[in-house]
Amino acid sequence: MRTYTLPLIAGLVLGGLVHIVTTLTMPRVASEDAFARLARLGPPNVVQLIPESTPTQAILPRMDPAFLSAICVYDLSSAALRVRVPTTPDYTSISFYTRYGLAYYALNDHAAGARTIELDLMTAAQRAALPEDEEITAADRLIVESPTSEGMVMIRVLVRERGLRDEVRARLAEASCSPTS
Amino acid sequence: MRVIFVLIALAVGIVSGLGLTWLASARGSNFGAVQIGAWTAWPKSGTVNADPYARATFARAGELPLGLGDGIAFVATADNTGSPLDGRCDIHIEGRLPLARFWTLTVYDPRGRLIDNVAERYGYNSAEVVWRSDATMEIVLAPRARGGNWIPTAGRERLVAILRLYDAPVGFGSRSGDNADLPAIRQEFCP
Repeated sequence: MRTYTLPLIAGLVLGGLVHIVTTLTMPRVASEDAFARLARLGPPNVVQLIPESTPTQAILPRMDPAFLSAICVYDLSSAALRVRVPTTPDYTSISFYTRYGLAYYALNDHAAGARTIELDLMTAAQRAALPEDEEITAADRLIVESPTSEGMVMIRVLVRERGLRDEVRARLAEASCSPTS
Repeated sequence: MRVIFVLIALAVGIVSGLGLTWLASARGSNFGAVQIGAWTAWPKSGTVNADPYARATFARAGELPLGLGDGIAFVATADNTGSPLDGRCDIHIEGRLPLARFWTLTVYDPRGRLIDNVAERYGYNSAEVVWRSDATMEIVLAPRARGGNWIPTAGRERLVAILRLYDAPVGFGSRSGDNADLPAIRQEFCP
């Protein structure tokens, strides 16, 4: 029995390393992650309505069926984006995710306090390149800095009761994201 | 003999390493978990500081976590006594809810899909649920139709309930303790 102790210990140490490496690389190699699933809905830098989840088909698992959602899969490499979202009386939220699905920023209609939420999404380099006078005139402009050039903007609106679904969907369809230049 | 040792070490290493990763990314980890009764939340998962296990779990499932600035999700896979949620039982979710602008309670299968039912009733939100006069509420998950706040379970053996609190006060769920009041989960009439 003792002859196998050494290879077993060596194997377990190796196993620990394999575990750490595979866990850390999983987000990079997962081919069916949220970004891949949402990117299939249409071209980047355009708002796409996400089909409502049903028991038999859903774009993403564990979506909240009380909400209607739309996504803007973005790529800021050529230009910054302007995101416009009309708010609804109940609850409207905009969540920003990196390419690998990390939530880096979120705001909702209460925090924004306007009938239409309007913001500019850009990378740190694009923000630094903004002309200075523009920065001043844009003091009331909301700027969100994306840590990665690719990512996702998830727009979600709550449907308080079923009868309001179509009305809320029409409002959500007015949301847009488009390159600023 | 030496070759056999190396082979054993390699086999043990690959099997245990991949097995651990598979298990951890399927079940989620306890890092940063906030447990309140039967409910568990991972507030850090909705931030850029999500731990590597959370990142791996979300990437594998294809799920987008709820951003912490948006809300917080409490997941229950078992009742208050620790028995797994069984859709063949009557599952009572009863009590008070913490302050939040909205909450929703949704029932899924273990793979995160909604439960098929004719009524297309997958959950309740705070605006449509019927409250009791003492500001508590009761939602029943059961295979057969019943009055009140009922969510059909289609008799599934394993269920996952997710309670999401939207626009909840800052700091809520950042620590476990007696500050939070979440509904209790109790099962009866199990087969």
